[in-house]
Amino acid sequence: MRNALPVVLTLVVLVLLMYPLALLFGIPLARRDMEDSRKWLREAATVQPAPVIPADGLSLPEAIASSFGTEAAGVPVMDGTALAPDETAGWVDWLGEMLPEGDSVWTLAQPLPDSFEAYVNEGGDWRHLERGSVPPALPPDGNRVRFTFGGAEGPVLLDGVFLREGEHFELEGAAVTFLEPPPFGSQLLRIEAEYEVLDAETGTLAFNEPTFPDRELRVVADVLSLAPFMQGEVNGTSREFAFPAPLIIEADRTRQVWLDGRLLSDNAERPAERVDGTVRAFTFESDRGLVVLDGTLQEEGRDYARNGPEIEFSSVPARNAQLRQYRDYWLSDPAAGAVLLAEPPAEGSRLWTTRYVYYLRPACGATVLECFFALPQHPVPFPHWIAERIGPFFERYPLGDERNVMRATLYTTMGTVSALLLGAALGVFLAVLFVIFRPLERTLLPWAIASQTVPIIALVPVLLLVLGNFGITIQTSLLPTALVGAYLCFFPVVVSTTKGLRAVEPLVLDLMRSYAASKLEVFWRVRLPAATPFLFTGLKLGMAAALVGALVAETESNNRRGLGYQILGQVQSGSVADVWILLIISAVLGIVLVGAVSLVQRILAPWERRA
Amino acid sequence: MVFSGRGSETVALRDANLTVDSGEFISLIGPSGCGKTTLLRLIADLVAPTSGELEIMGKTPRQSRLDRDYGYVFQAPALLEWRSVMRNVLLPLEIMRFGKAEREKRATQLLDLVGLEDFKRQYPWQLSGGMQQRVSIARALAFDPKLLLMDEPFGALDEITRETMNQELLRIWSQTQKTIVFVTHSIAEAVFLSSRIVVMTPRPGKIEKVIPVDLPYPRDAETRESQRFFELATEVRESLREAH
Repeated sequence: MRNALPVVLTLVVLVLLMYPLALLFGIPLARRDMEDSRKWLREAATVQPAPVIPADGLSLPEAIASSFGTEAAGVPVMDGTALAPDETAGWVDWLGEMLPEGDSVWTLAQPLPDSFEAYVNEGGDWRHLERGSVPPALPPDGNRVRFTFGGAEGPVLLDGVFLREGEHFELEGAAVTFLEPPPFGSQLLRIEAEYEVLDAETGTLAFNEPTFPDRELRVVADVLSLAPFMQGEVNGTSREFAFPAPLIIEADRTRQVWLDGRLLSDNAERPAERVDGTVRAFTFESDRGLVVLDGTLQEEGRDYARNGPEIEFSSVPARNAQLRQYRDYWLSDPAAGAVLLAEPPAEGSRLWTTRYVYYLRPACGATVLECFFALPQHPVPFPHWIAERIGPFFERYPLGDERNVMRATLYTTMGTVSALLLGAALGVFLAVLFVIFRPLERTLLPWAIASQTVPIIALVPVLLLVLGNFGITIQTSLLPTALVGAYLCFFPVVVSTTKGLRAVEPLVLDLMRSYAASKLEVFWRVRLPAATPFLFTGLKLGMAAALVGALVAETESNNRRGLGYQILGQVQSGSVADVWILLIISAVLGIVLVGAVSLVQRILAPWERRA
Repeated sequence: MVFSGRGSETVALRDANLTVDSGEFISLIGPSGCGKTTLLRLIADLVAPTSGELEIMGKTPRQSRLDRDYGYVFQAPALLEWRSVMRNVLLPLEIMRFGKAEREKRATQLLDLVGLEDFKRQYPWQLSGGMQQRVSIARALAFDPKLLLMDEPFGALDEITRETMNQELLRIWSQTQKTIVFVTHSIAEAVFLSSRIVVMTPRPGKIEKVIPVDLPYPRDAETRESQRFFELATEVRESLREAH
């Protein structure tokens, strides 16, 4: 037992070392995720609905003041269009009343329109409810069980079903770990604001907390809202404006910018002619607009001359350059949300937006640490994660299924042991030959050495193919695995056994001579037993080599048995923690097998090794 | 006797003439390189003479070896570490095809003789150096050879153990009546054990003098302290010195 202490201590140190290593390797990856704007959550900013629905009969300014407050800024709109200042019509278009269906679920019992708002009656006033949910940083793929939702901590919804903690998943901080991996393509959300849509067909909403036990909930199709102004000065000369938020998603076509009731177009017009490096004149759809060549604004008069829809460049644009014309405005700097209008808005006019889509925040989380824990693959996982994965890993497939880890381990063990027996038999046979016929050793030993230096990764597919032609595959027999393993393990056995057979004390040989013993007697009574400790050394080395060979053979075949196959599978598609578990299993297997050889040695050959 | 090897020749032994009678205890004594071990190995047919004749009980050394007429005890015990003490003593008996009951009987007898009957099942590494040599002696006597050849068997032991082992050897000799040719470089050991001492000198190896030892048997610790013992030891020492 005292011998075990240093080993245990070393293991403990190594395990503890994995924590800082995991951070060392993982934090830069997390930081990269945070900085990649394409991995951010997208948010569609629309008009702001009335926080409290104004009473009927109020004038527009009164309605705005009572609902939004007197400091409100923005253009009053309903149904996307600006309201005239003298409007007094109803400020809301009710759709229907919701009925409770459970603790946190309410239903309208009719399909919901694409655009709607929900309100709750609080002491006579109808208060607006915020809708909001967050998808996971990485989508379900049928294998993944751990998800993070950018910091959202509300209820978990899967394909329109409210999931219960403990029943379907476990929470660890902000991360959700499922007991069963959600299938590929399923819709997974976590409520962030006050509610989210469970099922648009039946009009069912799921709320963040069990709420509103005695309240009335209603859905509106349309309500008085405020559309934000575009940032920038409207003074008749300025053409530079910006969206209220940066990181505008360029490719989004639902963007809407209005100037005094006219929807502006950000359509990027392409020229009729190809930019082939020789053409100088181009024709566009519109007869005016901003001309942008390869992202740079072109100045009329200096860079080009305009003749209606036709323009002519002073110098020929390079071949395949990107040439566009924007009739109304151009998103000149999406990252800053900056736009450039073709014509400066006249003083007194209003420029506003009713919708724009932008990158809100990193999907993985608010801090680097959150994103670290959200990483899909940790190059070095935390040891306790590996420990947690061990249980589900073993239980994933039943014992009958050949993908079960215990069965795979058993298969690999049998393959390794067969390989060792085969290789040891060959090795001992060769060793005996070498001792009896020295010239044979000089001839064959170089070939034996050469055989070990040829990379088996190249030989194994060939071997498996040849055997496959005879109908012998890994699926049906141990032979392929055993052969590959034996190939690697016979060499240490040959070398050590040869040495052992020759490692007899000269005095003992004299002794045998004094007994007039025959050569056979000397071999049988002296050489062979003397070689046994050496043989076992060779067997221990050979066992390790046989295990490696067996794993390689299993990896390179496409039959599903054995640990090697599982390792390959996890490396390609599974989680890093699972790969670590398999590696640990392989290592433990190696230790156990070599230990078994030692045990056999202790029983069969208990005498002390000569110093 | 000429050893050739690697382009040089060593004359190990020259003009060695010696007659040994049955039942005698002969010691070969001399410094390193005097050829005493070579002489012993010649007798045992572990090496062949380049010239000269050797006769053992009227036979050639080769024939004597094939007939298993002698037992050899080496400088080191040369026990087989994978065999127990008992089975080590059984080794020559197995090779010489003795019957199972006979083997067991002889081995047990000899282990009793050397005082190791309680250690039958132990393995060599569990025994001290002296005990291992005793096993080696028991093994050499197992098949009852008429001649016992011993090459500095107690050389690796300390003086106190050596004197004890000398006593034991004399006891065994008196009980078994063997002829013993004993190689040593200890003057006291040679005088204590032998009936005749053959003094050998090196370069080239040859027999310098043969000294008869007239101390009476059985000898014991008192013998070592006697006047005659001292005189004989001095005689041996002086003849060793003469040759240098």
